[in-house]
Amino acid sequence: MKPRVAFFDFASCEGCQLQIANLEGEILDLIEIVDVVSFREVMKEHSDEYDIAIIEGSITRPMDEKRLRKIRRHAKILVALGACATIGGVNKIRNHRPVEQVKKEVYGDTDFKDNEFFDTFQTKSINEVVPVDCYIHGCPINRDEFKQVIIALALGKKPEVPNYPVCVECKKNENVCLFELGKFCIGPITRAGCNAICPTNGSPCDGCRGILQKPQIECIMDILEKYDLTYEEMKRRCTMYNMSIFNPSEGMTFARRGSK
Amino acid sequence: MAEIDCKVVKIIVKKDLNSFVNNLIKDKTREIVGVKAKGEKFVFGPLENADELRLDYDVTILPPKKYFLPPIETLMDFNLEKPFDVQESDVEKPRVIVGMHPYDIIALEQTDKLYLDSQKDDFYRKRRDNTIIIGTDIQNVSERSFAASMKTNVTESGFDLMLTNLEGKYAVTIGSEKGKRLLEKYAKTTAATDSDIKKIKAIRKHIASQYTKKVEIDKKEWSSVLVANYDHPIWEKKSDECLECSSCTMVCPTCFCYDVKDEVSLNLKDGQRIRTWDGCLLRDFTKIGSGEVFRGDVKERYRHRFFRKGNYLPERYGFVACVGCGRCGTACLPDIANPCDVMNELSHFERSDDTGRFFIKQKTEIQDKGIIHIPKGATLKRKEKLTVMEMLFEIELDDKKPLGHKPGQFVEVSIFGIGEAPISVSSAPSKSSSFEIVVRKVGNVTSKLFAMSVGDKLGIRGPFGNGFNVKELEKKHLLFTSGGLGIAPMRSLINHVLDKNNRKKFKNITILYGSKCPDEILFMDEVEEWKKVDDVRCELTVDQCVDDECWTGCVGLITTLFPKIKLDKYDSENTIAVIIGPPVMYKFVIQCLLTLGIPEENIFVSLERRMKCGVGKCGHCQINGVYVCKEGPVFNYSQIKHLPEAFE
Repeated sequence: MKPRVAFFDFASCEGCQLQIANLEGEILDLIEIVDVVSFREVMKEHSDEYDIAIIEGSITRPMDEKRLRKIRRHAKILVALGACATIGGVNKIRNHRPVEQVKKEVYGDTDFKDNEFFDTFQTKSINEVVPVDCYIHGCPINRDEFKQVIIALALGKKPEVPNYPVCVECKKNENVCLFELGKFCIGPITRAGCNAICPTNGSPCDGCRGILQKPQIECIMDILEKYDLTYEEMKRRCTMYNMSIFNPSEGMTFARRGSK
Repeated sequence: MAEIDCKVVKIIVKKDLNSFVNNLIKDKTREIVGVKAKGEKFVFGPLENADELRLDYDVTILPPKKYFLPPIETLMDFNLEKPFDVQESDVEKPRVIVGMHPYDIIALEQTDKLYLDSQKDDFYRKRRDNTIIIGTDIQNVSERSFAASMKTNVTESGFDLMLTNLEGKYAVTIGSEKGKRLLEKYAKTTAATDSDIKKIKAIRKHIASQYTKKVEIDKKEWSSVLVANYDHPIWEKKSDECLECSSCTMVCPTCFCYDVKDEVSLNLKDGQRIRTWDGCLLRDFTKIGSGEVFRGDVKERYRHRFFRKGNYLPERYGFVACVGCGRCGTACLPDIANPCDVMNELSHFERSDDTGRFFIKQKTEIQDKGIIHIPKGATLKRKEKLTVMEMLFEIELDDKKPLGHKPGQFVEVSIFGIGEAPISVSSAPSKSSSFEIVVRKVGNVTSKLFAMSVGDKLGIRGPFGNGFNVKELEKKHLLFTSGGLGIAPMRSLINHVLDKNNRKKFKNITILYGSKCPDEILFMDEVEEWKKVDDVRCELTVDQCVDDECWTGCVGLITTLFPKIKLDKYDSENTIAVIIGPPVMYKFVIQCLLTLGIPEENIFVSLERRMKCGVGKCGHCQINGVYVCKEGPVFNYSQIKHLPEAFE
C-alpha cells in the first residue's frame, strides 16, 4: 500500500510547499508512489488518516504546540520541511528580543489577552516541541532533495541528510571563493545539500540549512583579518537564520577585540 | 635537468598554435578543454575558441583531476525490476586537455599508480586512454605554490605534448606517439634548433627562481619527519582553527577518495549508482553502519591528511602525494592547510629512521579480477532469525560457482536503490555455490536485507581482504576469542578447522565467546556441536543476565573467562590466538593473552572499519597507512601494535 502523506503548515510563508507545487508534471509521478491526503496548497480535501506528516513552519504559539503534538500522535513518520520547521528560520530573529517587546511593536497597545490566536511565545523549531524523524532543510527547500526524501521513504530507506558543509559542494562547482571577493559567507559551517546554489550565483551563504558546528572565535577573527572583512559584515550574515556562531556575551567581547 | 633531444622538439609560432587549437576544436571528434579565465581566477573548461586559452595562468581553482575522476559521476544504471540487467555507464567522448602544468601532470601519474593497479578502476582507465594531454611549462608562478622546491615545476613524462613559451613562438616537446600524430595532423611546425633547446632550459630555470614559497625539507625526508612527530603539538594547535570543511582535499590534485550512493527516480524503478568526491577532513568519513567513528577528533583527521600525503602513500608507492600546487592553502580560510607551512614548522624537529612504522608491507592476493564496481548477481536462498537484531542469510551466486573465500574475508552486499555494505562471510569455505552472512540490523542496507524474501536478488562484490592464512594455524593449539557479532566471521574459521577433513591438522582448540546477554548468543546449537568434537573446549559468558533469564553459565566480560584457561609455558608458545569482536574489546583481550604468555606474533585480530570500495581506493578504511580492505581485516598483532589508530 502506498504511504499516505499529509502536509501541515505553521508560522511560515508556505514557500516550501509552493516549491513542491512547482514540481508540476512530476507531482503526477509523486502521487503514483504516495497518496497525498492533505495538501492545502493544491487540494481542498483533507484527511486525518496519514502515515507521513510533512510540517512546514515554526511554532510560535501555545495553540500551535497543541496542534503539532496531535499531528505527531497520528503520524508514523514526521518530516520537518524547510528552515522554519528545521531550525526556526527567519521567525527566530525575533527571539533576540523579549516577547512582550515584540508584541508591542507589532500590535501596539491593543489588548489581545484572551485571544489564543495572538498568544505568542519565543519561536521554536519543530524538534524543540516533538521528535522529528527526517529533515528537509533550506529556505526554500531544494525540490530535488524533497523528491529524494519521498523516494527514500517510499523505498523504506532512511533519507540521508548531508553532514558536511556547503564548501564541499561549492568547491565541486569550482566557484571563486566569495571570501576572496571580499564577502563573508557562512558556507564553511553550514550544512550542505543545496548544491551551493547561493555562492554559485555570487551570493554568500546565509546559513538557511543550519549550522554544523561552532568554529573557534579566534579562528573567525583571523579569517576576518585575513580577508579584510568587518565584524558588521559577519554579524549581518549571521542574523537571518539566527546563526549564533558566538554567544551574545562572547559576541560583545569579540566586538571589542576585533573592532574594525 | 636531463638533456632534451632536439629531435622531439618542434617550433610553432603563436598564431599557428592558435590555429592548431582551433583546428582541434573544429574537428569535433574530441572535446577540447583548456585553461580559461573565471573572474580573476582560472579554470579548466571546454574551449570554443583558441582565444579563450590562457596559457599564462598561474593555477586553476580545481585541478584537472575533474576530467578523470569527476566530482559526481554515474557508475552504472539499474532498474529495480530487473536488478541484474546492469549497465556500466559510458564515459564521455575523447578529450584533449590543453595547458596542464607539470605539477598537475605529475599528480595524474600518481593517481595512475592507485587507480590503474591490479584492481583497475575502469572509468578512470577509459578516461585516461581517451585523453590527450598537452602540457605547458609554467609562465606565471602562483603565490602559494612551492612546486620548485618539490621538483614538480618541470616534468619529462606524463604528457603527449608539452608547450614552452619562447616569446612569440612556442616549443612543442613530443612526449608520445599520440601527441606526435596529433601535431602532424593539425599543426604547422618547424624543426627546433640547439638555440631553442637552450632557451627552453633557460626559461625553466628562470621560472624555478621565481618561487618565493619553498619547503625546507626535501621531499625524501617528509616521511621521517612526520613519523617522528606523530604526537607533535602542531596537530592540535593547527586543527584548533580547522573549520572541517574539507576544501583542502576537494581542490587537491592528489586527493582521490570517493563515496558511492544510490539514487532512484520518482518511478521507483530506474536508478543510478553514483560516485562523488569525499574528503578525509569530514566528520562522517570513517563512520560505519553501527555509528562508530574512527577518526572522531578533528586533530586526528587533520593529521591524517598530512600523513597520507607525506608518509602513507610514500611508503606504499614511493612518491610524496603533494605536488606543491598550493591550491589547498588558497582554499583554506584559516590558512592551516598548506603542507609547505606545516613541513617548514616541523623542519626543526626530529627525524625517524622507522618510516615504515605505520605501514604493513604485504602482498595482497587479488581474487576478483572483474570490473571492480559491478556486483555479481546473487539470490537470497534462506533467512534464519538468530536473535531480535541478527539474522543469517544464505546467498547463492547466480553463476552457481562457489564464492571461493577464505575464513575472515568479507563481501560487499549490494542492494540496488539502497547501497552497499561490507559484511564478513560466516560460513566455512566450501565447494557449495552458496555462502552465509550474519547481519545486524543497523543501517539502510541491513534493514532492507531483513525485509527481503527468499528468492529476491541482490549483488555481491568480493570476496575482499586477506582472510586467515589457515596454514599458519596448523600444528598449533588454537584459542579463539569472539565478542558479540565477532562470532560471525569466527564461525567461518571455527567450522573450517573443525571440519573432519581438517581437524587433525590442528591441536587443542579453545573457543571463548562473550555476548551482552543470553538472548544475544548466536549459534547456540552449533556451540553445542563444537563442544562434542575431540579436544575442543568452549567457554561462554554474558555481560549481564536478568534474573528471569534462563542462564546458568558465566556472567561477566569476556576477560573473566581467561583465568579459567591455564596454559603452561610450552603450550602458550605453541598457541595461536585469534580475536574478533567490537573495537572496545581488543586491548583488554590482548592484555589477557599476553599475560597467558602467548607471544605477540601468535596473536591475530580481525578489525572493522568502513570498507566502502573493497579495492584500496576510496580511502575510508585506512588505519594509519594500512588499508583494512586489502592488508586486513586480519592482522598479526605484532605487525599493527605500533599503529596508533588500530586500537584507539
